[in-house]
Amino acid sequence: MQIARVWDAIVIGGGHNGLVCAAYLARAGQKVLVLERRPVLGGAAVTEEIFPGFKFSVFSYVVSLLRPEIIRDLDLPGHGLHIVPLESTFNPLPDGDYLATWADPEETRRELYRHSPRDADAMQEFGRLMQRMAMAVKPLLATEPPDPASLHPRALLAMGRIGKHFRDLGEKDLHALFKLMTMSSADYLREWFESEALVAAKSASGIIGTFLGPRSPGTAYVLLHHYMGEIDGVFRAWGFARGGTGAVSESIASAARGFGAEIRTDAAAASVIVKDGRAVGVALENGDELRARTVISGLDPRRTFLELVEPVDLPSDLVAAVERFRFRGSSGKVNLALSELPDFTALPGVGPHLKGAMAIAPSVDYLERAYDDAKYGDFSRRPFMDIVIPSMIDPTMAPPGKHVMSIFVQYAPYHRNGGWDDQSREAFGDAVVDTLAEYAPNIRSAILHRQVITPADIEAVTGLSEGNIFQGELALSQLFFLRPSPAWADHRTPVRGYYQCGSGTHPGGGIMGASGRLAAKAVVADGGR
Amino acid sequence: MSYDVIVLGSGPEELVAAACLAGEGWSVLVVEAGPAIGGTAASEELLPGFRVDPVHGDAGFLDPRVLRQLELDRHGLALLAPDPVLAVPAERGGPLVFWRDAARTRASIEDRSARDAGRWESFAERMEAFARILEEVAARPAPRPAGPLRDLAPFLGLGRKVRGLGRDDMTELFRVLPLPAYDLLDDTFEDELLKGALGALSVRGLFQGPRAQGTALVLLHHLVGSPTGCFGTRTVVRGGVGALVEALAAAARGRGVELRVDADVERIGVERGRATVVELADGSQLSARSVLSGMGPARTLLDLAGPTWLDPDFVHALRQIRFRGGYARIHLALSEAPRFDGLAEPAAGTIVLAPSLDHVERAFDDAKHGEASERPVLEARIPSLADPSLAPGGRHVMSVDARFVPVDGREGSTGLRGSAAGDELADRAVALLAESAPNLRGAILARKVLLPADMETRYGLYGGDPYQGELALDQLLFMRPVPGWSGYRTPIGGLYLCGNGTHPAGAITGASGRLAASAVLADLEGQA
Repeated sequence: MQIARVWDAIVIGGGHNGLVCAAYLARAGQKVLVLERRPVLGGAAVTEEIFPGFKFSVFSYVVSLLRPEIIRDLDLPGHGLHIVPLESTFNPLPDGDYLATWADPEETRRELYRHSPRDADAMQEFGRLMQRMAMAVKPLLATEPPDPASLHPRALLAMGRIGKHFRDLGEKDLHALFKLMTMSSADYLREWFESEALVAAKSASGIIGTFLGPRSPGTAYVLLHHYMGEIDGVFRAWGFARGGTGAVSESIASAARGFGAEIRTDAAAASVIVKDGRAVGVALENGDELRARTVISGLDPRRTFLELVEPVDLPSDLVAAVERFRFRGSSGKVNLALSELPDFTALPGVGPHLKGAMAIAPSVDYLERAYDDAKYGDFSRRPFMDIVIPSMIDPTMAPPGKHVMSIFVQYAPYHRNGGWDDQSREAFGDAVVDTLAEYAPNIRSAILHRQVITPADIEAVTGLSEGNIFQGELALSQLFFLRPSPAWADHRTPVRGYYQCGSGTHPGGGIMGASGRLAAKAVVADGGR
Repeated sequence: MSYDVIVLGSGPEELVAAACLAGEGWSVLVVEAGPAIGGTAASEELLPGFRVDPVHGDAGFLDPRVLRQLELDRHGLALLAPDPVLAVPAERGGPLVFWRDAARTRASIEDRSARDAGRWESFAERMEAFARILEEVAARPAPRPAGPLRDLAPFLGLGRKVRGLGRDDMTELFRVLPLPAYDLLDDTFEDELLKGALGALSVRGLFQGPRAQGTALVLLHHLVGSPTGCFGTRTVVRGGVGALVEALAAAARGRGVELRVDADVERIGVERGRATVVELADGSQLSARSVLSGMGPARTLLDLAGPTWLDPDFVHALRQIRFRGGYARIHLALSEAPRFDGLAEPAAGTIVLAPSLDHVERAFDDAKHGEASERPVLEARIPSLADPSLAPGGRHVMSVDARFVPVDGREGSTGLRGSAAGDELADRAVALLAESAPNLRGAILARKVLLPADMETRYGLYGGDPYQGELALDQLLFMRPVPGWSGYRTPIGGLYLCGNGTHPAGAITGASGRLAASAVLADLEGQA
């Protein structure tokens, strides 16, 4: 008879946070196993060949927020990670003009000047402020949120330290940060800029992944969240991973394996085995039971607390908090295989603008109307779109001469009146293509294949509840020590030996990895207690 | 003439401040541009004998310290407690009626939803506990988180009070403060009418729909000082806000304050960084050691003192203050009280017409896109029911706030102007009210409509905003009126601010005047 092996740690979910957590634990010398339900690793950061020869970053599509310390600690470039910066942004406008930013700051300045000389000047100072704000928040990304209700000296000390950090910013920057935390992105940007096209283009970053419009308070924080990305120390740098976002997951997995972690795909966890208030292993859907001293869930809070364990093992206030945690996914995705590149009326031909990010966000009012549709239960008839053509940077993504286009779309509410079915999915896809065709009329005839992904599809494929790409809204009432629940925001849970490492924990969404790293630190610090 | 302090404006805050300062022995002059003391708070006659408060829906929460200190009861102030406090007519099912007696409110909710009734008391108690914390915050100057540590000392007591809520309520407070009212209400209740009515109360002072973050805080802000579960009601003064002004003026006069009407301020003269002179429109000059202005932060500093003495960043901050009145106020003189279907007793408190949260949100959508709401959210009061002195024998006055009306973000309102636009909106409002009070239409003797543009031109309220700055998270506490200047002082020596545009903002009456007076006093005593 074989003696059942006992793992030091089992990580449920092979998304990027689960993999980061596993890599750090393995690096600390633990025997680690990662369980991934799907045949591919990465969760929402996967690359898949959806149509023969055409590879897509099916869900998450750009990289920026991945913490530099993680890239360093795990030597991800040594494991194949190669990020190519996105150098330009291009927003076609309904009047036939466009707004762009380019790799060359001087060229960007000239372009902004064309729209508004005042804005071109303000942009410099704005950029500096946002960089300072990102720096101000950065230490918190690597800090375990303290429990504000605790009188434990450690919690008080941690709160004192955070208080001091903010006081040390000085009044001016503290006020600027407070505004970013509380205002709407449109109001915030209007304090700086007068050009409607510029305010709209920038405020769109504030609505990504939220069920809010650019005029909703709280969106300025999401805008800041998107400024926190660093590539090689440069803030607000966005990039592609060569090989798609799946390559990011693969590089982390390779690093984890290098440290001795084992990773199993097609291994769906059914539940966490809890004995006497302690997690002792994981039961798989195929009936197998695996033993472990520690179990870490990379799934979202709803699955972590309401599905993997029995609510009876949890305090009722935690259950109530998780039950009302807001997911309400609002975004969809359309992936296109193209026979030729889009030809934008506003800037015809093949140019550098096709190598960067393109967006349909012509005015704040346009974005608000797109939001209005979703508020009352339907997808936006004329949606906001964030578009990239990865094959322009990495030709291996498509057959020679052909292209892949990734369109991130808002809004597509998970709670759609009448639900989502094949018909509504295709109607949603049509709305996206029709809107894009207004700006690039050749797009219709260029489409060889089309994949439309609704929030219901995101949930079904990746397991993200209600298709929320951040594992729960990035709203003020769901951040820091409230993410996912007061007293349980430090990546621990009421079940001893059971931890959480998904982006439903502090500091939250995007391919950031910070949650996975913090969770690993908590596991190591607890030393198996 | 020379005074220790000249107070600009004669609204409640200015009068409270003047009385506090004169009570300490300083010579104080109050100047009012209009013909009557009170400014925007003075009552007006709609028809002979029909008195209304033109701008303010209610007298707000009266700071009890002010009531005591100024002995307002001796100066003729009488407070009323209308019951029911809130009535919500329903198209289907019985109306919702909130009473001072929590059990009666519960029974009314029970008629519509047993589940909601079961949750009502704990919800109301928790909200009241949170409002008590806000009351504490409103009773002292706003904390400056990056200011000197000794300034934070008074807040240790507040911190203890927050901790005193207990773990659950304390963390819940942190969650609720930035929460959309939509989520707070939707998490708790199922009855659309109940959620709609409370949702309507959560957008007072904000140009947002209930889905916006920060609206739960506005709901709490308006609950400060109210008895448990008495949403939507405030101190009701016999004779209206105008009578409160009269009592305050009497208290001020009794302390030796000189009050001057028809004295329009043209300019605040600044010499070497200090305000020294107040120049009136008639050319006369009054000199003062200190000037305390209730005329709004932007108007005071940019229009009256002028930006010459100010740092460009400070001027920029002043220009960023968002004034968004966002509603029309409709005054009606009535031959008889409207009778609302299903209401056995006259609706003496507030009447809200907002059948669902989506209704409130849609009303805002219209305004967001530049149109007055097709189906506005209505908040009405018939003060003459509890206070017959406001209208001649048996007749009534009614004031209706109709939300939303589009406003420009900054420096003044645009969009809706002129009597035609106002009449159209008022017609829609009356038609909606008449659906549940059929006798209303035939009872109207006179009607007056104030759009945000009117509030601006007639009453000097930027953006038609009676709160002198949106009650948004980023415009409260140490951010009000502008970040870092919440302490009633300004960069100009001897020039101070009070009024709704300063902490603790509108609907909490007397606190800003009392706190501003303390700042002036401290400096006067420091110089003496």
